[in-house]
Order: sequence, then structure tokens, then C-alpha cells
Amino acid sequence: MKKISQARMFDYLLTKKIENYIGVPDSTMKHFIDRGLKKKKILITTREDEAIGIAVGMYLSGSLSLVFMQNAGFANSISTITSLVQLYEIPLIFLIGWRGYLKNDAPEHTKIGKIQPHILKILELQSKLVTNDNWKYCCDWAVKKIKQKQSCALVIRRIFYD
Amino acid sequence: MIRKQAIRVISSEIGNNVIVSANGYISRDLFDVNDKSKNFYMIGSMGLSSSIALGVAIKNPKKRIFVFDGDGNILMNLGSLTTIGSLKPKNLIHIVFDNEIHESTGSQPTQTQHISIKKLAKSANYKAFQVSTQNNLKKVLNQIKKIPGPIMVVVKIQGSNSISKRVTLDTIEIRDRFLNSLKNKH
Repeated sequence: MKKISQARMFDYLLTKKIENYIGVPDSTMKHFIDRGLKKKKILITTREDEAIGIAVGMYLSGSLSLVFMQNAGFANSISTITSLVQLYEIPLIFLIGWRGYLKNDAPEHTKIGKIQPHILKILELQSKLVTNDNWKYCCDWAVKKIKQKQSCALVIRRIFYD
Repeated sequence: MIRKQAIRVISSEIGNNVIVSANGYISRDLFDVNDKSKNFYMIGSMGLSSSIALGVAIKNPKKRIFVFDGDGNILMNLGSLTTIGSLKPKNLIHIVFDNEIHESTGSQPTQTQHISIKKLAKSANYKAFQVSTQNNLKKVLNQIKKIPGPIMVVVKIQGSNSISKRVTLDTIEIRDRFLNSLKNKH
């Protein structure tokens, strides 16, 4: 996703009362995070499950969050999603960077990139692929979900090499 | 001192304050000793009680937020110490019941037999204390009332055969009554 789309996406979610942006950085969404850092709205944690824990505490205090992570970190978070987020029915927006989407991405991303859509499905976590053209629609969808007290995921594909 | 005695002492000293308590026997003891709507019992997601409490503490700066953690629990999420120590929430009091074992899975050893959690916490910007008797526990709880957080109190406890009943509330009830209790100003 282009820099400008990522920055606009951040600004848009902020106007929709998503107050907290917590997670572990991913270069796939660098510009989204940079925008949030500029606005002093980002909390970087050591691990993804830690970020989810903090976001749950904030939800219990009446404040909505987006938790961002790479898909490697999403895999790290599965138990926290099932035994905290889903067990207590806590609505959160996940923003996940899809490494391994391109076939020749770095080797450590190949397997998780391949199974990521299946994991989302098995977890019954509804998701949408965010692009330069549909980000506003995806944000509206996610905000609607979270206000209906359902968690959901927005996925940004890695479509460049470094 | 066993965990349930320590929890009894702390509950009576801190009154109706917010507590986020770790999974396993810690939540079961707290539920048995002093159930109240300001308790959040974390049934699963081992390791994350201090992270949940951090989220609550950031959003409720005028309330004192207690974490009831265990040695096995905090060892699974040591990064939480560095996040808390970086943000320095003044209202966060992190209590670790340290029996040096994973008691609920059959008393296997944890690494706190070799590593001091108090020292780790100190390195992470906490004001850290360690006690092993009920009298000293009461003294420290009194002392920390005037100190800004983050504060860590490591309570060294013995293993025990007394097992409290399970938390019988369902998770949605735990969530809703906790959430509603935080809406009050006191």
C-alpha cells in the first residue's frame, strides 16, 4: 500500500474513535505506524500477545483499540485470541501484514504466508484485504464490526521486495 | 505464608481497589477470599495479567490498579516489565506471588529459584520490594501508599495443598461487571 493511503487510513480510523494503536511494527505497514507515531498515538510492545493484553485492558476501560502485527506475530497470538479475546468476547481490530504473499518473499515467511487465510478462517475471525482503492470501505467495515462488539482483521499484503 | 494467607492480607489492606489477577490458583484464591466486581479474573492467556492491568492503568490514572501475578506467569511475559517500566504508570502496583514452582500443573520448578524477579523489576524502572512474612507484607503495603508507581512487591510464599474452588462466574459476567465498576469514579 502507498504511503499516502496508509497515512490517510490512520487519520480516518482516528476520526472514527479508534483511540489506541498498539503492536509490534511491520515494514509492510510502516507508513501507517509512522503517521501514528507523529500523532503520538502508537504504543510499541515487545510481543503481539502483550499488545492484545493492553488493548483488552483499555477496552474494559471503555476505549477502542487497533492491534497491529506481522503475520509471524499473528501466529504467536493464536492462544491469546482464543483464550482472551474470544473467551471474553472483546472487540478489537487487528491489522496484519501479510508476509509470504509473494512467492519469493524471504523463506521464513513462506509457510505462514501460505496458511494465513486458513488460520483466520479457522479462528472465525472475519477479515478484509486492504488496498489503495478500498481502504476507506475496509475501515468503515471494521469500525462497524467493533461497534457491534465483534473482533475483525484488516490484512495488508506485502507486494514489494526489499 | 501460603498464597491464600497473603491474598487475605492484601485484600483487607487495599480495600475495594481494582485487581487484575492471573490465571490458575491465584484467581481461584482471590475469588474465594474476596470476590468483587472490581476483580478481573484472567482465566486463560497465561502471562498477560500485567499487560491487561497496564491498559486499565493508562486509561484510569486516578485509580490504583493492582496486578496479582505469579512467578510462572510473569516469566512468560518479561517484556511486560520493560513496557511498564518505560511508560511508568504511577497508579500500577504489581504483586507477584512467588512460590518458585508451577503449582497448578504439579509443582514443577520455575527459574525464580535462580533469578530474582525483584532485581529484574528494579532494572525495569520499578520501585521493587520483597517480603516473606505477613507482618512485612502489611508494612510494605502501607509504605507504598505514598510512593508513585510502578511498584513491584514480590511476596515469597510456600507451596500449599489447599486448593480453592474454581471461579464459577462466566467470562462475560466477569467482563461486564468489571467494565461497569470502572465507570464509577471511586
